[in-house]
Amino acid sequence: MTPEEQRFLLVGAGLFVLGAIGFITRRNLILMVLSAELMLHGVSLTLVTFGRMHQTNEGQAFTIFTLTVAACEAGLALSLVLSLYRKSHSLDIQLWSELRESDMSGPDFDSSGERGKLSSYDDIPTLTPAGIAPQNPPRTSGSASVTTSNRT
Amino acid sequence: MITWMQQHPMTIIGLVLWAIGILWLMPGRKASKPRPHMIGVLIVAAGLVSFCLSSGKAQSELADDVMFWVFAIGALMSGVLMITARNPVYAALWFALATLSTCGLFLLQHAPFLAAATIIVYAGAVIVTFLFVIMLAQQSGAAGYDQRSTQSLLATISAFVLLGAISLTLQSEKIEIARPIVVAAADSADEPSATADSKSLSLTRPGRPAQIVPVLPGNVMSKADAKHPVGNLKGLGKSLFGDYLFAVELAGTLLLVASIGAIAIAPRREQGAI
Repeated sequence: MTPEEQRFLLVGAGLFVLGAIGFITRRNLILMVLSAELMLHGVSLTLVTFGRMHQTNEGQAFTIFTLTVAACEAGLALSLVLSLYRKSHSLDIQLWSELRESDMSGPDFDSSGERGKLSSYDDIPTLTPAGIAPQNPPRTSGSASVTTSNRT
Repeated sequence: MITWMQQHPMTIIGLVLWAIGILWLMPGRKASKPRPHMIGVLIVAAGLVSFCLSSGKAQSELADDVMFWVFAIGALMSGVLMITARNPVYAALWFALATLSTCGLFLLQHAPFLAAATIIVYAGAVIVTFLFVIMLAQQSGAAGYDQRSTQSLLATISAFVLLGAISLTLQSEKIEIARPIVVAAADSADEPSATADSKSLSLTRPGRPAQIVPVLPGNVMSKADAKHPVGNLKGLGKSLFGDYLFAVELAGTLLLVASIGAIAIAPRREQGAI
């Protein structure tokens, strides 16, 4: 194995491992599917390099089939994600952890009562909280006449 | 293994730095303020450079080297930033960049058709639909589950142990490949005695002298020869529609079934809005 082939294989292995980390750690359904696609990229690069090492076109033919399966997988995964989202109104994978086997222990929810709750970013600008609404807002006679005229 | 660790300290340092950088960038179990982004990026970049440097010097042109470095570090860095992004839209865009870099690596490996097909399928179809779904589902801004991750320490350590094992296997020098000898074109076919020592297959074509092609395990029509090197579109078509014709038909059926399934699974309009 020449160093040139070796470094392409190392990059393919690195892409695969990165996709595996993303698939395990992320909790967003869409990001999990994207991480699986990253793993497929690593495998494709490895297949192409193997094909070039053996001087055949089979590696590239396999990669075309991988591409086909990846496209099918993306379509099916997105429609599954959409129907799951319709039921739970969230993309959190942990909301579906009750589908596990009954004798397995579930994942530990790190904070109670945050299921599906949206928490704000630090970066996203938020409105300042409004104070107590005044009981009797001062009105001028002109605006009062405008509102009464609007009602009639 | 100990000798391998002594011989390749750069690989070990690269893997460890890379893993530390991922753990630095990864959102923790509790939603917390993000750590300084630039430090993690620098740690990952240092790890990537020493990991790629450890793979040895290749005998290639300078331009090839530079392009390999750009594309490899681009792909791996975009992968790291994708799996650690706290905003799923950014994650999808980093994935698009990783796809483009992988296509550059395909081009360096003499696979131009594959690079074009990957760009069309991924950047044209997959990324767009993913972005569409993300924006449909998360109209109210950042979600809490994107700010934390599950088991990030355990997953990163075990994944990098796997990567270290793969590097150990790839960098051990016991791997031998039966390299085929590409027979020169029809000029040398008149003197078949040069390659006729091993068992060989003679392809007789009408009007042409018998050509000697060495037999290696594998399919005959997928072999590259001097006229059609690896990645040649004609050779690839011969391989797809010669050796793998039934597989092509199966792939078409799979696409049909998947599209029917996607339409059947996706929520209907009368079932209520998303």
